[in-house]
Amino acid sequence: MREKIIIGLAVFAGALLAWNMNTIFTKLPDELNQGAIYRIIYFHVPANILGMSGFGLGMLFSIGYLVTKDLRYDALAASVTEVSLVFASIGLATGSIWARIIWGVWWAWDYRLTSWLVCWLIFGGYLMLRRAVDEPNQRARFAAVVSILGSVNAYISYKSIEWWTTQHPQPVLSIRNGGGMAAGMEAPIWWNVLALACFSAILVMVRMRQESFAREIDTLRRMAHAQ
Amino acid sequence: MLLGLGAAWLIMFIYVVLITLRERKLRKELDRVRRMVEHPNK
Repeated sequence: MREKIIIGLAVFAGALLAWNMNTIFTKLPDELNQGAIYRIIYFHVPANILGMSGFGLGMLFSIGYLVTKDLRYDALAASVTEVSLVFASIGLATGSIWARIIWGVWWAWDYRLTSWLVCWLIFGGYLMLRRAVDEPNQRARFAAVVSILGSVNAYISYKSIEWWTTQHPQPVLSIRNGGGMAAGMEAPIWWNVLALACFSAILVMVRMRQESFAREIDTLRRMAHAQ
Repeated sequence: MLLGLGAAWLIMFIYVVLITLRERKLRKELDRVRRMVEHPNK
């Protein structure tokens, strides 16, 4: 059943992405001030939306573990957080490339970029911490605390472009009252969010299966030692 | 722009490769441990 869902999601996401890429590269005009480079926004924004929302989701699963002590919540939190970190990396890389062309520098230490980099480092540390602690319940407890702290930082990063004056552009999406995009130019961002969310779901399902393998290996090892 | 797109897909590709290798390693390890439990004297 899981394989069928994965294949179905992959086909849907692939078709949606192909259609949307065609729209982005052949139908949308260049932006007045930035030219063609503005199209990075169609990958930068969806990747960061998935990164931030994934970190938040991971925090909810972590709280679920702390409340119930059920390791399945921990496995979900670890899977979602790892995949979200990949999207956050894409967001940082695409943002940096855009900045190099538009600002003339790869990086600026403003509130948004710095807080997002700190967030990326916290969740990188989260994954390293998980590898460093062997006992599953202790690992889950420590990881949950880091996830909660990291998610608070992710929220600060999300709000930073509203709270402070930053080098990073202010909100442009209409749901954040940005209104900075011409009609028809915003929709492809949301289509890409949907397509990448489907890819993200596939990766989380694969990671969940791996977590289940790891738990089974751990149980069998304990049995082998007990024999 | 193509550099940005390439970077995005490269990161995704590297992650998919890593996750695939990890899956293979876990399956091998699971088989090994299963055999160890089923035939403890081997």
